[in-house]
Amino acid sequence: MTVIVNPAGPPAAASPETTRATLRRNFWRGVWRVLRRKPSRMAGVVIVALFALMGVAGPLLYPAQLPRDDNALYAPPSLAHPFGTDFEGTDVLALVITGARYVLLTGLATAVITVALGTVIGLIAGFHRGRWDTVLMRLTDMNLAIPGLPLLLVLSTVWKFESPLEMGLVLGVLGWGGIARAVRSQTLSLRERGFIEAARGLGLPTRHIVGRELLPSMAPYIAMNMLIAVTGAVYAQVGLFFLGVLPFESNNWGVMLNLAVFNGGALTTPAALPYLMAPLIAILLLTLGIVLIVDAMDEIFNPRLREE
Amino acid sequence: MTQTVPGRHRAAAIARKVAGHVVRGLVMIWAVATVSFVIIREIPGNPVLGQYESLIQKGMSPEQAERATAVLYGFLPTGSLWQQYVGYLGSLLHFDLGRSLSTPGVEVTTLIGHAARWTVLPVLAGTLLSFLLGVTMGVYAAIKRSGRLGDALALSGSLLHGVPIYVIGLLLTAIFATLWPIMPSGGPVDVEFVPGLNPGYLGSLVHHAVLPVVTYTLASYGGWILAMKSNVVAVLGDDFILAAELRGLRRGIVFRYLARNAILPLFTILALSIGMLFGGSIFIEQIFNYPGLGLLLVNSISSRDYALMGGTFLVITVGIVVANIVADLLYTVIDPRVRSGGAA
Repeated sequence: MTVIVNPAGPPAAASPETTRATLRRNFWRGVWRVLRRKPSRMAGVVIVALFALMGVAGPLLYPAQLPRDDNALYAPPSLAHPFGTDFEGTDVLALVITGARYVLLTGLATAVITVALGTVIGLIAGFHRGRWDTVLMRLTDMNLAIPGLPLLLVLSTVWKFESPLEMGLVLGVLGWGGIARAVRSQTLSLRERGFIEAARGLGLPTRHIVGRELLPSMAPYIAMNMLIAVTGAVYAQVGLFFLGVLPFESNNWGVMLNLAVFNGGALTTPAALPYLMAPLIAILLLTLGIVLIVDAMDEIFNPRLREE
Repeated sequence: MTQTVPGRHRAAAIARKVAGHVVRGLVMIWAVATVSFVIIREIPGNPVLGQYESLIQKGMSPEQAERATAVLYGFLPTGSLWQQYVGYLGSLLHFDLGRSLSTPGVEVTTLIGHAARWTVLPVLAGTLLSFLLGVTMGVYAAIKRSGRLGDALALSGSLLHGVPIYVIGLLLTAIFATLWPIMPSGGPVDVEFVPGLNPGYLGSLVHHAVLPVVTYTLASYGGWILAMKSNVVAVLGDDFILAAELRGLRRGIVFRYLARNAILPLFTILALSIGMLFGGSIFIEQIFNYPGLGLLLVNSISSRDYALMGGTFLVITVGIVVANIVADLLYTVIDPRVRSGGAA
């Protein structure tokens, strides 16, 4: 990557393998440097790592059936229950932690599908141009123009989105337009650059040009979009559960929001307020963590943004 | 560049562009209508056919039942798929979206017409406010980009851009309606006032609109500030700004140069922002119990009023598509670079 400026520089006669390894080491050193310079970025990494841990280990920390306490319905926050309890006396913090898996799994599935579809479609359109380009870009325009949320609402009448993966699939299929557009324009500009022309002049196969030359230069950009796609997925699926148009199969943040607002009356009486605030704070923190990381990545890969 | 292009030529180019946009918009609307037709037909139990059969069981003749169902849904329940589809598109051309089932006999278009103003006005107010706020803050964030203030502003933009609109709305309500009740928690207006142009009613309307409008504003502010910041940073590096400074022009004039060149590209954000707010209105109206299009859509789903659901979905989507086209066209008319590009 162009970011790495190693004053010593690799020995000129190094074999390709060591050059690659040095590059990689220097790259990670650069990442570390950018992260360390502003503590806020470290905070971003820590927050997202914590949420990932929550998604993986959360449900293992608690029994499958969370304990209920009929004597402490909507208990106020205390040491035992930092966010109080819900309408059946279950600890709200435990609900947030166990509910993270559903939300994060959907986010992950959505991000992978969005990015895979968007990258492939953008690459084909930008690389082959011509008729393929026209057809694919019309499709992309369509994908961008149809508003996802109303469509999801209407789809919820025919489709129950039973598992997080299913939900991620639908969200991914609805949301690839932006990435496809961006990847296409990047491809169009990259394919005229010297190193791609050189590769083509050497007669390297398309597979090599796309996989080894084009994709690596777009990888940071794609990774950033993948993270942003996670926030989009959280927005949509938590929102659908909040509106109450999906059946409550399992515990997750959207279900909590729905029950707090429409059953607990959290918007009129303070009793259910902690129950409402806990998932809200979780979503806010997750978004903050992702935004901080994207911000840092932007600076790692865009040296022009750095202003010493 | 634009001066060399004759006026008539330019008008023709713009006309061609408008026509292109309109055609593309119509194709979009047709596609969405088709999606909505397919979904209503594919709903488990096929409500259209179900309605038809239950009417026949109630003793209607097939022709009567067919007519009654067609009035409800805007298309015939029987005949081939193709005939149903053509009938549906035909009634759309007459702005006939069928009749509501949950409020019997009322036309879907009437319900949508009543709901639309509760969505459109707050969304427009939110767009306007967030534009003003975001553009001002964007300039600050660009000028102070190496300082702490600039960092904080840009981060506030990224964060608000990523946080779901309902999180903003719920937090605001929790703070200003539950914890510190200075704002009403829901409804469009207090019931004690007589509707009309009297100060009590209007004041209550405004009071109830404050939280929803502030939510819309905060939700789309992020997009404006981020875009404005990067535009200003880009323009700051341009030669003409340097030249203006070297010529010793007053800062106000330099600023005007800067603003004019940085604001133009923001019209592309306008389309995004309006689309996002329209989508977000579904949550906001649910939270604030605001009788707009979003609430109509959610209620139609929970009451299984499929004719109303299809119609509302169609109208919301068409609204967004039309807003996108208008924003594109405004951009074309305002920005001379795009305009001359089209004529070339």
